[in-house]
Amino acid sequence: MDFASLAAQLNAGAILPEVLVTVTLLGVLTIDLVGGRSTSRWTPYLGIAGLLGALGALYYQWGQANPTAFLGEFNADPLSIVFRGLVVIAAAVTIAMSIRYVEQTGTSLGEFIPILLTATLGGMFLSGADELVSLYVALETLSIASYLLTGYMKGDPRSNEAALKYLLIGAASSAVFLYGASLLYGLSGGETRLAAIGAALSTLTPQTASGAVIALVFVAAGIAFKISAVPFHQWTPDVYEGSPTPITAFLSVGSKAAGFALATRVLVVVFPSVLEQWHFLFAALAVLSMVLGNVVALTQTSMKRLLAYSSIGQAGFVILGLVAGTAEGYASMVFYLIVYLFMNLGAFTAVVLFSLRTGTDQISEYAGLYQKDPLLTLGLSLCLLSLGGIPPMAGFFGKLYLFWAGWQAGLYGLVLLGLVTSVVSIYYYVRVVKMMVVKEPQEMSEAVKNYPPVTWSLPGLRALQVGLVVMVLVTSLGGILSNPLFRLANSSITQTPLFQAVPPSIANSRL
Amino acid sequence: MLTLLILIPLAGSLVAAWLPRAWAVGFALATWFESLWVLQQFDLHTPGLQLLEYQPWLPQLGLNYSLGVDGLSLPLVLLTSTITLLVLWGAPLSIPPERRQLFNSLVLLATSGVMASLVAQNLLMFLLFYELELIPFYLLIAVWGGQRREYAAMKFLIYTAVSGILILGGFLALGGLSGSLNFDYAQIHPEHLSQRTQLLILTLLLVGFAIKIPLVPFHTWLPDAYVEAPAPVAILLGGVLAKLGTYGLVRFGLGLFPDTWHLISPGLAAVASLTIIFGALAAIAQKDIKRMVAYSSVGHMGYVLLGVAASTPLALVGAVAQMVSHGLVLAFLFYLVGVIEVKVGTRELDVLNGLLNPLRGLPLTSAMLIAGGMASAGIPGLVGFIPEFLIFQGSFSAFPIPTLLAVLGTGLTAVYFVILLNRTCFGKLDNHTSYYPAVTWQEHAPALVLTGLILWFGIQPSWLVSWSESTTAALIAAINL
Repeated sequence: MDFASLAAQLNAGAILPEVLVTVTLLGVLTIDLVGGRSTSRWTPYLGIAGLLGALGALYYQWGQANPTAFLGEFNADPLSIVFRGLVVIAAAVTIAMSIRYVEQTGTSLGEFIPILLTATLGGMFLSGADELVSLYVALETLSIASYLLTGYMKGDPRSNEAALKYLLIGAASSAVFLYGASLLYGLSGGETRLAAIGAALSTLTPQTASGAVIALVFVAAGIAFKISAVPFHQWTPDVYEGSPTPITAFLSVGSKAAGFALATRVLVVVFPSVLEQWHFLFAALAVLSMVLGNVVALTQTSMKRLLAYSSIGQAGFVILGLVAGTAEGYASMVFYLIVYLFMNLGAFTAVVLFSLRTGTDQISEYAGLYQKDPLLTLGLSLCLLSLGGIPPMAGFFGKLYLFWAGWQAGLYGLVLLGLVTSVVSIYYYVRVVKMMVVKEPQEMSEAVKNYPPVTWSLPGLRALQVGLVVMVLVTSLGGILSNPLFRLANSSITQTPLFQAVPPSIANSRL
Repeated sequence: MLTLLILIPLAGSLVAAWLPRAWAVGFALATWFESLWVLQQFDLHTPGLQLLEYQPWLPQLGLNYSLGVDGLSLPLVLLTSTITLLVLWGAPLSIPPERRQLFNSLVLLATSGVMASLVAQNLLMFLLFYELELIPFYLLIAVWGGQRREYAAMKFLIYTAVSGILILGGFLALGGLSGSLNFDYAQIHPEHLSQRTQLLILTLLLVGFAIKIPLVPFHTWLPDAYVEAPAPVAILLGGVLAKLGTYGLVRFGLGLFPDTWHLISPGLAAVASLTIIFGALAAIAQKDIKRMVAYSSVGHMGYVLLGVAASTPLALVGAVAQMVSHGLVLAFLFYLVGVIEVKVGTRELDVLNGLLNPLRGLPLTSAMLIAGGMASAGIPGLVGFIPEFLIFQGSFSAFPIPTLLAVLGTGLTAVYFVILLNRTCFGKLDNHTSYYPAVTWQEHAPALVLTGLILWFGIQPSWLVSWSESTTAALIAAINL
């Protein structure tokens, strides 16, 4: 093999965004090492700039003729571009909201940002990994960096508890996933590339196909852990509650998006031969997640736990798009994840801001907030209503698209269940809005009575404010003006080669 | 342009959140003039849709920005803009000044949503704005309501959200099964579906709208919401929002399922007479005048349903006119009850007495309350008479027994209004305790305007009827094909 053809097969340009993130990571680390603590005034902004640069690089990658890179280890197709974009945006917003938060807890930003960027890197590679080994390495990069981040507040026992729980359950589930991967390796006769495994599995006889089902169950368990689908969700509330809030935000959006990227690629490429079985399996996950997540969220008293259970319920909605199995279904899943990114990060930014100013996450402490901080109240209300699927917020359009795609694919029962559980979810989201807006001045909570004067001049708060405003704006206008997002979601599916075999929806075939 | 009907109140709700009340009233006035302009442009002799507007919105979802107005929506558009204007004008009476800007903003937002639902010609667009009502009304009840406002508001929210998902389920089924390219009304052709499927979808929609109207036995949210809401919000709930339910019933039930309608209409007529009798009997038993008016509203929506179920040309014209009449009379009654509550400080039937006393009572308010009671009981010469008469005459041939029960219901209406008027207006005012603050002319004004409208449409009902006549006739013709 001569150099030219090797270079073409390596196609190293496909990981330009990842290279940018890596350079930023090393840059921040080195600057912190050389310049000391004082550099942390501006290194976070360097991190955000690096991530935005990666986003730009992703934009230029769209529509590339040859997406396969590193001899088939990595795929830069539109699907992976969209998911990598989601991870990158989630990381950028997380940095914006953590500058002040980390400063206030007295820990060092110079380590926090490199670890977060490492997790981002893991998520990005996971979104594009096309081969078992690189897939597993990416998964572990994301997971190990996440364990570190979860326990970053060393002085806080809850943070330590969260890290330990996450580490133990995460390690177990990653072992289960690895076991499934090893079965795949054996069943396919020593293949590691996903496409080759898929092809080998489709030649199995009915007698040996049960092996594929067992592999599916193990792999699905690993995936369900990452997207915190019921019954693999037990870690979620404790970890979300104990982690530093910006990290909770990243786990609920960035890490989850990477999990869905993994799910989509593995299920569509590797398991088409056991299509019915994986549809059944994930339909069960969707039912359990929608019901349990939304019902248990009703009784929560801590804002972070509420958002944890709500994110379990939301994952159930997203799985609905996956189970639909049509091009429309996958597109609606991507669309909902994009919308979910903005509304959930918006909500978390508001929660971080509130806890910065009052030091608490209790829902009852939000009582009467509108009097002291109208912007925070408005932003949090809009994001929560969007999560509840109230029009004209973006979340309404996201849910509508999911349900419509599901309905067209014939998932009547799942769609009806989704409709019912989304009414349940309205109740607990509105409960928070009620606390903030409806309570009379005399019913104001202690935390709000002692609310500090609203100021944005402290270092790092400006970035948080920009993040909050952008998230809320996209959440409120992204629904009405969602044509660009719809096009992005649709073309990320239709232009990706691996979905060529997937049936388009009934409506599309008629158009 | 119909878009302005949506945009003016929407812009108003953004502006009114920051600026004084005059701005909110100004935007409501502009909306009212815009609705008059629509009336002026509207050709009364064309049965179909007019003033059409069309823009693709989200083609992947089948959601298009498609507007049009016909004889079914026109009267309701006029009703909505009129009531919004009066509500914002009369709001200072019951809404304390601290958060009045938020109140004005929410009212205008709600109005924008109702207008958009009425003129939307796409199922999803209707649903979008139908659901948009949830939060503004939730906040209007929860922030400004009475003692149990949080409970009442949450109950309203849950019931309405359930109604919304039932309707969404019905719409998804309609769009998915009838194989249309999008959700425009014109594209939905359920007549190819089997009768069983049609019945199933129709039932989903019916239950969804029955919660909103509300019909017995889905009415339990109504007494709480109407009574706990402050008077202006109760007016909006009963006068405007409830109409979306009956509008939806006619537009999507009768309009989209002409073949299946006759299968369910006997059941609907039975529910209608049940609702009428139940509403009247429940009103008789009340001790709180606001709750009494709330139950009277339940009963009066039953007449609309009876007319829609009978689906004869006369009955349907009557039903549309009854929607307007109910909106005006209910707004009138709730406003007067609000005045009494503020000035006298109670709504208890056992405490109120002798308000007609010309010196120390509230003579003008009581006089108007008597007129309101008469209008609601269907006394000729006031707006309530002609619609009810049309409904009874039109329905008798189709459903004689339910119609007779409904006639009995109007008799019972007279009973509870006599009780109400007898206790509150007549009798001897206690000379020692009753020194009520005077009602200013500014506070009288909205009620006086409503008196004028109620009288005018009572004497000249042909206006009311002519707005919807050709459209309803075309709808009935489609059924009887």
